[in-house]
Amino acid sequence: MDLENNKAQMRKGILEYCILSVLSRNSCYASDIIKELKEAEVIVVEGTLYPLLTRQKNAGLLSYRWEESQQGPPRKYYELTDEGRKYLIDLDKSWQELVESVNLIRTR
Amino acid sequence: MKITVSINLGGYSFNIDEDAYAELKRYLKNLELHFAGEESSSEILSDIESRMSELFRSKLTTYKQVINIDDVRQVESVMGTPEDISDNEGPSARDKFSSPGYHRMYRDTDHRVIGGVCAGIAAYWNTELWLVRVIFFVLAMMGVGILIYLILYIVLPEARTTAEKIAMKGNPVNIHNIKDSVKQEFDTVRKNMKL
Repeated sequence: MDLENNKAQMRKGILEYCILSVLSRNSCYASDIIKELKEAEVIVVEGTLYPLLTRQKNAGLLSYRWEESQQGPPRKYYELTDEGRKYLIDLDKSWQELVESVNLIRTR
Repeated sequence: MKITVSINLGGYSFNIDEDAYAELKRYLKNLELHFAGEESSSEILSDIESRMSELFRSKLTTYKQVINIDDVRQVESVMGTPEDISDNEGPSARDKFSSPGYHRMYRDTDHRVIGGVCAGIAAYWNTELWLVRVIFFVLAMMGVGILIYLILYIVLPEARTTAEKIAMKGNPVNIHNIKDSVKQEFDTVRKNMKL
């Protein structure tokens, strides 16, 4: 068994959930999301984030607006759509169930 | 002393060493290919470029105004290689992004004398370029060669992108082939500059 690969698979599974959770608090621009994900150690290389954001946007879970920036070109601020909020509630539920399932087995 | 190149990355202008530029171009080309099968791939790439631009800006000060190869390598390691990114997406990701041996005829203007028709044919059939040229010369002497050449010139598209240049030779378009091909391009450019 390859532990690193296993860890990567787990991270991958929860990464989308984490992105939506970060955005559920307030709208952010990509670098803010990166910062949070890095602090929580759910992301290793930054390149992983951008295709996910675009996919979530294409799926209608996110939208973005351009906002002027003091330090340079305008930035993309991402926020959850109503659909994204509903989706996140579902994910919250299944995450809870997963945690409970694992706990049940681990403590038996 | 080093030559620098001026580039626009994410709406910012940077002065970047020549070798660093070659490395950055190679990296972005790899990413481009990696996301080629993806919907909105250009959007993903421009997001990545904006982020890289931000990381590069944080490396510049009044006393350091040029991006060097170490900066590029460092930013690349932060962003991750296409391989790192595809590992996160499961084992099948690499196959998904390489199309199987797409093979078609182009005009090869890198090796052209007139319009690259002969070079394109030679690349397609993997034969000697001089042989194709001799055949065309003989056909031209017989009176039909020039017409055939003109028709082919009009019909065949020019191989512009790296992916087209690889498809011209019939190799499968994947990250490794693109890497080789881009490297070859740089070696040629470098040689030409030294001459």
